[in-house]
Amino acid sequence: MTIPHPVRVGALVLAATMFYTYVGQMVPQKEVLPPQETLIRADLTTDDMVKVGQEIMNGKGLCFTCHTLGKTEGPFRFPDMSGVDVRAKTRVPGLSDVEYFAQSIYEPEKFIVPGFNPGMPVINKPPIGLNDQEILCVIAYLQTLGGTPTVTLQTAHHYYTPPGAPGAAPPGAPGAPGAAPAPAAASAPGAAPSAPPAATGTPPAAPGRTPAPAAPAKGTR
Amino acid sequence: MNGALNRKVLFLLGPVAVLVMFAAVVWMASQLMNREYREPYRVPSAAVDATPRTQGLTAERADAEAKAKATPYAEVEYRAFPIVGSRVAIWAVAELHLLFAAFVLAVPIFAIIIEVIGYKTGDQRYDRLAYEFTKLLSTSFSLTATFGACLTFMLIILYPKFTNYLMSVFSPTFLPYVLLFFFEAFFLYTYYYGWGKFHPLVHIGLGIGLNLVGTGIMMIANAWVTFMTSPAGISDQGAVLSVRDAIFNYTWMPINIHRFIANIAFGGSVAGAYAAFKFLQAETDEERAHYDWMGYIGNFVAISAFLPLPFAGYYLAKEIYAFSQTLGLTMMGGAFSWLFIVQAVLIGNLFLAANYYLWLGMGRVEGVQPLQKFIKYLLVGITLCFAVWATPRSIIATVSELRAMGGGTHPILGYFGVMSAKNTAVNMLILTTFMSFLLYRRTGKVAAVPWAKKGHAAQLTIFAAAAFIVIFLGVYGYFVEATVRIALSVPQVSSVLFAMVAITAIDVFLFRGAKKTGEVRWGRMPVVSQYVLIFIAVTFTWLMGLMGYIRSGLRQHWHVYGVVRDTSVDAFTPTIGFATRVVSVTVLLFFLLVGFVFWITSLHDKPDFQPETEEARARRRHGSGELSPKFALEAPGEHGPAS
Repeated sequence: MTIPHPVRVGALVLAATMFYTYVGQMVPQKEVLPPQETLIRADLTTDDMVKVGQEIMNGKGLCFTCHTLGKTEGPFRFPDMSGVDVRAKTRVPGLSDVEYFAQSIYEPEKFIVPGFNPGMPVINKPPIGLNDQEILCVIAYLQTLGGTPTVTLQTAHHYYTPPGAPGAAPPGAPGAPGAAPAPAAASAPGAAPSAPPAATGTPPAAPGRTPAPAAPAKGTR
Repeated sequence: MNGALNRKVLFLLGPVAVLVMFAAVVWMASQLMNREYREPYRVPSAAVDATPRTQGLTAERADAEAKAKATPYAEVEYRAFPIVGSRVAIWAVAELHLLFAAFVLAVPIFAIIIEVIGYKTGDQRYDRLAYEFTKLLSTSFSLTATFGACLTFMLIILYPKFTNYLMSVFSPTFLPYVLLFFFEAFFLYTYYYGWGKFHPLVHIGLGIGLNLVGTGIMMIANAWVTFMTSPAGISDQGAVLSVRDAIFNYTWMPINIHRFIANIAFGGSVAGAYAAFKFLQAETDEERAHYDWMGYIGNFVAISAFLPLPFAGYYLAKEIYAFSQTLGLTMMGGAFSWLFIVQAVLIGNLFLAANYYLWLGMGRVEGVQPLQKFIKYLLVGITLCFAVWATPRSIIATVSELRAMGGGTHPILGYFGVMSAKNTAVNMLILTTFMSFLLYRRTGKVAAVPWAKKGHAAQLTIFAAAAFIVIFLGVYGYFVEATVRIALSVPQVSSVLFAMVAITAIDVFLFRGAKKTGEVRWGRMPVVSQYVLIFIAVTFTWLMGLMGYIRSGLRQHWHVYGVVRDTSVDAFTPTIGFATRVVSVTVLLFFLLVGFVFWITSLHDKPDFQPETEEARARRRHGSGELSPKFALEAPGEHGPAS
């Protein structure tokens, strides 16, 4: 019995499609859920912040999409995070580890680690859009990688002064730099970090130091 | 005896059956009676006030109406599509629209080129071939428009808020789009129905107009799509600052180029499949020769466009990285990286199938034996490159296997899973396929120019130099930092492109006035070659479906990356297995519809319907060919076969 050509063609189309579907089932299967919002209570201790920071780095922060942890050899696209706190203390003269981490997160283009290309996004803006408290938690976790965590939710740095922290302008003060940005506002699209506050313990702001635009060179974003 | 016994048994069983049936009816009746409505017990009306039920219902309705009137209008964010969900519904419809649109945009490109060749050479065969390709357009255009309208309505219904946002950003582009669509219809139908009705140059002008308008439509639609991946021209809150910047976003031009080339490759492959289908159904040698030639041209178009496609892909990927490293790494190193292994299997199959078709095609030409000896080397090269390209960086393994390997990466194969190896493999694949083309091109011909020997030597030197550069830089990439390694792909690609252009240029002059050693015998192709053409078309279609998913799915939980977040139930990124199933179903639907297009198109060649004559009816009634006694008695020539 001869099978008509149209039937053979149909069988070929079906077989080829099924083969490719089969190949698709053979590779690792993983459903990627949208990042979960992390609840940050006002009374978090530093140890709690470390745990939250680790959670954020693994999830919402997407940090380990690019960075590695504990990779010792092979090609590195972005710096490995092992022992990063040790390097952070001396990486940029005049910046403490907390200030260096904050700069890397709020203004990643400001300093590029030698041997690497720029590419780190501004983390407090979408699509990642961590708020200031979440960033403090991330800094707390980063400090554990080679050092001891010191930050609390009241820690001020160059880009953020918590409400009520020493040096914070009274709420609503006209033109007050960094007039207590609310967490929600800071994480909202376009809530650019305010001008550096004169917080206690922070190094003096460099002239003209404004947060880098979130955007790529082309276009306005 | 048995009959009597049976009657007795029946006699006994009859009353039993009647009793059973009676019992069943009683039981059923009692069951039904138990479920009939019975008035509930009510407290006597004397004891309580009568319930003002009617009034209560009226008051309830009035209350609901008042509440509805008081509620302000609120925009619905999402609506659900039944059974498969909104995302899959939009996904399938968008993919079908894109596949038909790609075909409708591609066919006029090579139809006009073939028509121009026919006009310049005066060879009517080219003109007929171009017309044959164009015949596929009419139905496909209608299907493209139908799916486009369906997609628009479904977006408005299922994703109203997001669609509204996109419309607010791109509102100035919609009227030009509609206008261009009108012009597309004008040019397409005039080009098709006006075939042979105008001066050839006027007709070619219509074809050029069709292509320009079609490309314009594609570029406008690409602006909407690419804006979703790499938004520009808006504030951080999403307000429009510049429509021009929104259009000229990071990935717009790379997608324009990539789609333009990919559409040609895809269109060529589907047209080749049409020719293969017709070849398989052909009844005469003449038909077979024509469709063999048409299939060859379709495949030639597909593979010619396919060769530079990876370079357009690099450009697109580069711009994605330039826009956002996170997005780029999600694509190549994150959730989507394994899809590129599936892609490697598809592209590897395409290269193998295309080369196999070319090698089979050499059999059409007499005196091909001297060149056929090279095929085995080409096959080895292609297989090796395919194997390297399809090697994943990390391997799925059990704990014990991981321990044995010393990590997630195989100690040897791991080296083939990195970009240096893959770039080298794909560039060598392209070079090898190009060599197959070259061998095919020179079958049955011997260069007759005085500098033939030097020309061959120059071609070989350029090929060897390109291969050396590709392999050397691939190996060198293992010993340098990422910043240097990424840049190495540029000289690799450039050397391959240079080799293809330079070798072709030499070949054109080398074989000008060449001595023919054998004729091309069109139609003398094994049947399997036609199935290869169909396989290539299926693989191209599947590849387009997969790459479309990667491009779109890359945004993950964002409708517009970093601006409009997806908060629907479908905000998650599905597994690769699920995605491939959706792609497969869409591809099968597409081919069902393509079958319809082929069928409609083939009606064009069928003879017109003729009412059945009395004689034919009589023939049918009395079997094939045999005349009824009535007609047999009549003189031949009046009703017989001779008439």
